[in-house]
Amino acid sequence: MVWALILIVIPMLIMIFYAFTTEGNDLIQVKVSLNNFIRFFQDPIFLNVLLRSVILALVTTLICILIGYPAAYFIAQADFNKQAVLVLLMTAPQFINMLVRTYAWRGILLNTDFSAELKVYIGMVYNFLPFMILQIYTSLSKLDTSLINAAYDLGCDKKTAFLKVTLPLSVPGIISGITLVFLPAVSSFFIPKLLGGGSFVLVGNLIENYFVTTGDWNFGAAVSLVMTIVILISMYFTRKFDYDKEAR
Amino acid sequence: MKKLIEFRNIVKKFGGQVVLKGINLDIYENEFVTLLGPSGCGKTTLLRILGGFLEQDEGSVVFNGEEISDVPAYKRPINTVFQKYALFPHLNVYENIAFGLKIKKMDKELIEPKVTKMLELVGLAGFEDRDVTLLSGGQQQRVAIARALVNEPDVLLLDEPLSALDAKLRKEMQQELKRIQQEVGITFIFVTHDQEEALTMSDKIVVMKEGHIEQIGTPTEIYNEPANKYVATFVGQSNIIDGTMIEDYKVNFDGKDFECVDYDFKKNQPVDVIIRPEDIEIKKKSKGKMNGQIMSCLFKGVHYEVIVETKRGAAKNIKLHVLGDQDVFNKEANEKMSASDFKMDIEDVESISDQDLILRSNAQAWDADSEEEIAINEVEHNIVDKAGNYQITFKTAKGTCIKINVEVVLPKVNEDSEEKIGIQAFDVYKSIDEIKESMAISVDLRNWADAYAWDLETENEVKIDDVRFDFDPMEIKEGVYDVTFVTEGRTYKIHTTEKQNEGDIVSIDFGPDDIHVMEKMIA
Repeated sequence: MVWALILIVIPMLIMIFYAFTTEGNDLIQVKVSLNNFIRFFQDPIFLNVLLRSVILALVTTLICILIGYPAAYFIAQADFNKQAVLVLLMTAPQFINMLVRTYAWRGILLNTDFSAELKVYIGMVYNFLPFMILQIYTSLSKLDTSLINAAYDLGCDKKTAFLKVTLPLSVPGIISGITLVFLPAVSSFFIPKLLGGGSFVLVGNLIENYFVTTGDWNFGAAVSLVMTIVILISMYFTRKFDYDKEAR
Repeated sequence: MKKLIEFRNIVKKFGGQVVLKGINLDIYENEFVTLLGPSGCGKTTLLRILGGFLEQDEGSVVFNGEEISDVPAYKRPINTVFQKYALFPHLNVYENIAFGLKIKKMDKELIEPKVTKMLELVGLAGFEDRDVTLLSGGQQQRVAIARALVNEPDVLLLDEPLSALDAKLRKEMQQELKRIQQEVGITFIFVTHDQEEALTMSDKIVVMKEGHIEQIGTPTEIYNEPANKYVATFVGQSNIIDGTMIEDYKVNFDGKDFECVDYDFKKNQPVDVIIRPEDIEIKKKSKGKMNGQIMSCLFKGVHYEVIVETKRGAAKNIKLHVLGDQDVFNKEANEKMSASDFKMDIEDVESISDQDLILRSNAQAWDADSEEEIAINEVEHNIVDKAGNYQITFKTAKGTCIKINVEVVLPKVNEDSEEKIGIQAFDVYKSIDEIKESMAISVDLRNWADAYAWDLETENEVKIDDVRFDFDPMEIKEGVYDVTFVTEGRTYKIHTTEKQNEGDIVSIDFGPDDIHVMEKMIA
C-alpha cells in the first residue's frame, strides 16, 4: 500500500498538478489554469495526432486478432507435446529486449520502399502479436472438446460448430488479448519513432517531445492526462463487453 | 421388432492397444439397451463409434440397413447425452435446447412450441431463460436430454449420464429416463458401469469386458443365468464355489453331489457354481442341504445379509516368545552382539548351514559406538538329528561371543481330518525391537513361524486367511503370547427378511434351479 502510494498516486498527483498549471510556476507561486488543455483541443494538429494514435492502435489490434486467432487455433489443435514447443517458439523472441528487436526490424526495413506507416505497422504487429496469440490460445485450450462434439452431434458441420461454439466461447480470450495489445499500442512511442522516422508522430512521441526535448512539462503532462483518459474509456468498454459475455 | 443398428465385427485400436476386439451386436427399434462393464471395457468407445465421433479400424456399422461408417456425426439421425452434459455455457436453457433446430434452419415459430414441450417432458417447464451454468447437476442433465431429444433422433445415446449425480437423484433420474424413453418411443443406448442402473432400466443388457461382449440378455436372463463367473460377479452379488460337473444335471461342490438344471458339460469338468444370496433359504438344523453356523447378520434396509459358515477353517496355535534386550557387550573390543533362541524342525537339521543358524537366531554383531555391523565368523554348535535342546555359540574375529539355546522338535501338524486341511507352524522367539520394527506384523508372523497349510488330499497349498493375536505390536513387552493361524472356511452369503442370531447352528437350503453352473473362465 505504501509503495503503491509512493510509486503511483504521488506521481499521478504531481502530473495533475503540472497539467493544470502554467510554465514558470513553483510551489510558492501557483497559477492554476486550463490553458494547456485549451491549447491541445484547439489545435487540429494535436487532435490529428491523437486520432492517428488511436487508429494505429485499433488497426494493430485488429491485425493481431486476424493473424493471432488462426495461429492460436492451430496451436490448440496440435498434439499436446507439440503445443508446448509451439508456445515456446512463439514466446522465445520475447526474451530479447523490445528495443533491440525494434532496431533489428529497422535494419531489415531500411532498404525497402515501404511507407513509414507500413513499417510502423509491421513493427507494432510483430511486437504485440504474441500477447494476442497467448490469450486466445489459453481460452481455446481450456475449451471442453465434448462441447465441440455436442455441436457436431446436434447437426453442425465443422464450420458452424466453429462459429456457433468455439468462437463465442473464445471471446473472453480475444477481449483480454485486446486489452493487452490496444493499451500499450496506443501509447507506444519508440516503435513509431524508430521505424517511422520523424514523419510519423503519435501521442507517445508528442509526450516524449514535450518532456525531453522542449522541456514544457506542463503541456506534456496535460497531453499525458488526455491519453490516460482515452485509455480508461477504452478499458471501460472492453470490460463491459467482457462482462456482458461472461454473465450469459 | 425391426433391426435398427447392426455392429459387424468392430475393431478399434488406440496406439497399440486393442480396445474393441470384434464386436457383433444387433439393436432393435424402441429398445432400451445398456452397455454394462467396468471402465476400460470399451463401452464408451463403441458408443462414440455409433455417434460418429470415432472411426472403427475394422468392421462396419449398419443403420436401418445402410452402412453409415462414412457418414459424419452431424448427418446421423442420432443424438448424444454426454457424460458431463456438455451444455453450451454461452447460451441459456432455451438457446441450448433450440440449438439443433436452429442449425437446421427451422422457423422460430416452430422451434418455440417444440422447446416448450421438451422442457415439460423433462420437468423443467418455465426454465427457458435460466443460465445453464447455474443449474444443479440433475437439472443440467435434464436440459442435456431435452437438447438431444428435441431433434427427434431415431436413437439417443447416453454416455454414463448419471455418474455425476448423487445416489438419490440417480434413482430419480433412472425412473425418469425409463419414462421418457417409453413416452418418446425411440431406442436408447445407455452406457454405465453401475449394474443396478442397468438392471432397473434396460430391456436388454450387453455385458462387456476388455473389448468383447460377455453376454447379451434381458435383465432377468443376465441376473438369473449369467454366462460365466465374470457376469455373475459384475451383476448382483454371488456365492461362487469351485465345483465339478459329475454328469448332466449333477454337480459336485463342497464334497457333496447336488441336482441341478445344467447339462452339456464334459464328464468331471471343473466348473464355477454360482448361487445368488437371495436364492438360499435358512432352515432349522439338518432340515436343509448343509449345516452351518451364523457368523454375522447385518440389516441392509430391505433384507438381512447373513453369513453362514458351513465349513470351519483349520487353525494352528503357536507361542510367541518376546525377549528383552540381551545384548552382549565386549568392552575390550568395544563390540556388541545379540541373538535369540529358536525352535527348529527336525527335518531341517540335516541341511542346516552356519548361515541359516545366523539368520534364524537373528544373530548380529556391531561396533558399540558407530553401530557399524561386524561379521560373525565363527559358529559352534552341537546339534544332532534328534529332538532335544542344544546350544549355539556365535563369535566375531575379536572374540566377542554370544550363546543361545535351540530346541529341535518333531514337526507338529494339526490335521483336521474332518475338514481335510493340514496346517503347521513353529513357535517364534523375537526381541521387542524386532516386533516393533515390523511393518506388517501378520505377514512377518507367518514367515517367522513358517506357517503353511495344505489340502491333505491334493497337497495343494491352502491360503492362510487370518493371523489372530491379542497384543499391540507397538506396545509389546517381554513375555509369551498366543498366535493362531487360520485358513479360510466356506461361507455363504444369504439375503433373508428374517433376523438371525449369531452363533446359531442352522441349515441352508436351495433348489436345483438355484444352482447356476458355468464354465471356468480362462484368464
